[in-house]
Amino acid sequence: MGQVLTIAWKDLRSELRTKESINAAAAFSMVILVLFSFVLDIAGDSREFAGGLLWLVFAFAGALVLNRSFAREQPNDCLDALVASPLPGWALFLGKAIANFALLAIVEAVALPVFGILFNANWLRFPGWIALTCALATWGMTVIGTMFSALTVNLRLRELMLPVLVYPMLIPVLMAAMKLTTSMLTGEGVTADDWVWVKLLIGFDIIFTSLSLALIDVILVS
Amino acid sequence: MRNKILVAVALLSGLYLIRNLYYILLVLPDEAAQGAIYRILYFHLPGWITSFTAYFCAAVASIWYLVKRDQRADEFAVAFTEVGVIFTMLGLATGMVWARIIWGVWWVWDPRLTWAFVCWLTYMGYLMLRGTIDEPGQRARIASVVSLFAFVSVVITYKSIDWWRTQHPGAVLSFRTGEQRIDPAMENMLFHNMVALVAFAGVLMMLRLGQERMQRELDALRRQAHSL
Amino acid sequence: MDERNFQYMFYGFAAAWCLLAVYLVTLVGRESKLRKEVDNLKRMIEEREKKG
Repeated sequence: MGQVLTIAWKDLRSELRTKESINAAAAFSMVILVLFSFVLDIAGDSREFAGGLLWLVFAFAGALVLNRSFAREQPNDCLDALVASPLPGWALFLGKAIANFALLAIVEAVALPVFGILFNANWLRFPGWIALTCALATWGMTVIGTMFSALTVNLRLRELMLPVLVYPMLIPVLMAAMKLTTSMLTGEGVTADDWVWVKLLIGFDIIFTSLSLALIDVILVS
Repeated sequence: MRNKILVAVALLSGLYLIRNLYYILLVLPDEAAQGAIYRILYFHLPGWITSFTAYFCAAVASIWYLVKRDQRADEFAVAFTEVGVIFTMLGLATGMVWARIIWGVWWVWDPRLTWAFVCWLTYMGYLMLRGTIDEPGQRARIASVVSLFAFVSVVITYKSIDWWRTQHPGAVLSFRTGEQRIDPAMENMLFHNMVALVAFAGVLMMLRLGQERMQRELDALRRQAHSL
Repeated sequence: MDERNFQYMFYGFAAAWCLLAVYLVTLVGRESKLRKEVDNLKRMIEEREKKG
């Protein structure tokens, strides 16, 4: 466990020093939000769309952060050094996943209030549910993104293949998160119907975290 | 010898399909509520079953590769996956045509259809990924992992009929529901067409496998030519 | 029976068969292309070996 946290802290520290991808992700999400608010007619009740849009923004901005995850280890052969070290593959993966989760959480925390202002959405009605949805869905995105970042790090067309592989796998997570967020924004909160989406998020997280931990060593061997 | 068997199976499955078509179009009665359009079922359902079977075989081949590192397992994986993708497209196309008549729209984003679409996208990503990696060992290793990830979506698509109440019709086959929900003659026909399509898919898979082997031979010859 | 019903039924069947046919044709085309390349290379190697 200590090794996992060491890796997580290392990644977070190196990112927070330069703040490259956080700034890029946050700026990108602001740009998309502004563009969307031009495109959509927000004179009417935009709360129907807000849930869906929010997660679209997080998905796109998140890809920027997640792509960097293993890519930042490429210069100076850092990745080879990490793989050759006594650190087990699953610890490396989990450490990076936790760091990415924290970074994505920071981006989301920045984007949510701005979104609330631009789209007149009240996030504070069901703070617990919003937090739970964000946590579960963000972990789902993080696990898939980190795993596929490791997978594509050595490929020729990394920047192209990562979105192509990651976004289809994320469709169910995004859909569940969108449905739940829309429920919360349009007033009823999480009803009995919505529980199936919460179960989907939990199931998705468990299945793909286990699968990633099991297969990461296959990917990391050079 | 192998070719002769392939041709024989191809011809037999072709004849079987034609015999099935005769029954589907001319012998079986119309369904009470839907009319003639329901006959698409006889390709829609077997198409998806064939596709899932192919993906399952690809996942098994991928696990075999990861355990044994046998390059031939990887060849099986790509052959099965490509055939699976074709039958997924068949399932999606037939489903969309049917939906246009029954539901009035070509597509809805209900969970079952969404997961089915995700299947198609993830396996297309698998095929694209293979195209970008030149080194066979690395390609096989990475592709096997992606295949296993993609197979999760297949399992969920299969189970989604039980987990969600959606617009898409529920389970009808008696081995799944434990009771007789549709006419036995129709169910019989479904199984016939399933066998025929799986046999046809097998032929396509063997053809594709042969091409993988030829590609390997080609790479070896190229290396030899370069060294001269 | 509704006329559109039959029409779309045929569209559905046509879609299924067309897909399979196109794939089969693609496979056969790819096979002959690969075979030609293999034969070319084999011939080229034989010629080079004869020269050398």
